[in-house]
Amino acid sequence: MTQPPMTPHLLADITALIERVLASVTEVAEAMTAVAAAARAGRRPLRRADLTALRPVVTKVLARHRGFAAGAGVVLAPDALADAPRCIDWWWADQGIGQLEVDLDPASAEFYDYTTTEWYREPARTGRPCIAGPYVDYICTHKYTFTVSVPVVDDARFVGVAGADILAGEVERMLLPGLSMPGRANGPAVLVSGDGRVIASGTASIVPGTVLRPGGPVTAAGPLPWVLLSGPALVDAAGR
Amino acid sequence: MAPPALTTVRARTLFTPLDTGGRADTVTRRLAQAIRLGLLLDGERLPAESQLAGQLGVSTVTLREALATLRTMGLVETRRGRGGGSFVRAPGDPGRLERPLRLLSLHELTDIGDHRAAIAGTAARLAAERALPADVTMLREHAERLRGAAALTERRRADARLHIEIAATAQSPRLTREEMDLWSEIGDLVWLPMEGMDVAPAARDHDRLIDAIEARAPERAREIAERHVAAETARLLDLRLSLHHG
Repeated sequence: MTQPPMTPHLLADITALIERVLASVTEVAEAMTAVAAAARAGRRPLRRADLTALRPVVTKVLARHRGFAAGAGVVLAPDALADAPRCIDWWWADQGIGQLEVDLDPASAEFYDYTTTEWYREPARTGRPCIAGPYVDYICTHKYTFTVSVPVVDDARFVGVAGADILAGEVERMLLPGLSMPGRANGPAVLVSGDGRVIASGTASIVPGTVLRPGGPVTAAGPLPWVLLSGPALVDAAGR
Repeated sequence: MAPPALTTVRARTLFTPLDTGGRADTVTRRLAQAIRLGLLLDGERLPAESQLAGQLGVSTVTLREALATLRTMGLVETRRGRGGGSFVRAPGDPGRLERPLRLLSLHELTDIGDHRAAIAGTAARLAAERALPADVTMLREHAERLRGAAALTERRRADARLHIEIAATAQSPRLTREEMDLWSEIGDLVWLPMEGMDVAPAARDHDRLIDAIEARAPERAREIAERHVAAETARLLDLRLSLHHG
């Protein structure tokens, strides 16, 4: 599928912003790697208390992206820590900053198994950054959310992931003018995630959260794994 | 972060930092409510005072004051020494479980059922329109977890979790929150009459509901969800009446 000529411009701002969040998340990941490397160099086990060293970095990141990223932190691979089989060190930013509390006891009925989530599994599997969502995040932000995550690796060992939650509403707000721009050669455009979930739409007849099923092969509209649909391709996908 | 646990209901009820001006009474109320809702179970050990105080965003002095009140109320027991700490006291006598049901009139029970049907029905319809294959797989896993849940509290949580996930599959934060609020309010009641009963009928409803979601059959999904809630409501009304006569 050929991309409309204005594609790069349309996604330029949001791509740049998400890449800045990705750079921030990478900072958190590097801080985590440093913590793990320091423990390894000192020939002592990595402990939960060591994670307090990340707090200034995470706080800085949340302040930097206030209003756009609503949470950030690290999630450890099972058994990465000597004194906790699983660990989430995640912070949310709203009026203030608070630490996320979840139940990580596998024997508990409320057990939160983060290893099954897309934002953990993908970086663990591929060794590459991931942008998961949008999805209803009822654990941390309680909003429609994307999670950007990167793997944390120390000495070739996967330690966990660092990540940040991005509010889907903010992403849509930035995209809306471009998608609905009157006079677009191809009519209104719709941005969907790689699996077809509508992220933002320039037409009221297709709303965010619904699923479009493109008829033919699609190409990512830039560095993000998102696809822009407009014109006949959009009509075709919407009819399925 | 991603789909999962009912943790949030617990975290929100229990561990949301208190506004300034909160203090001992608020802590007391919140912990008492968590015990009443079964979020904290009989015999469960509370986190260390400093940790719990930190999670609630109050000083240890304030927390101790709240714990003293809860001890007076008989909801918490503090043991000294090795293996000591504060433990939840919520003895499981049937009378205690029935009490919340006695407090509700038949009209109130009907009203709760109507509210649940509206939320669950719409969530099911939208989930059928909006589910991706991965969502269906996840819902089936939760349905399976409920089927395998032996203890009542475990069933309640698995059931709540499944319905919350259906609302999340509908891509609606508001419906998800409504389900979470409804389940923290009535979760105990839903499984109350099920003591010693079979989990199979509910499991069958859930399977059919997930089938409809997978088949992208919104109206069928909505109807199954509404009937499921209606059946549970009818059972609660029967039980409420039997309490009245008993």
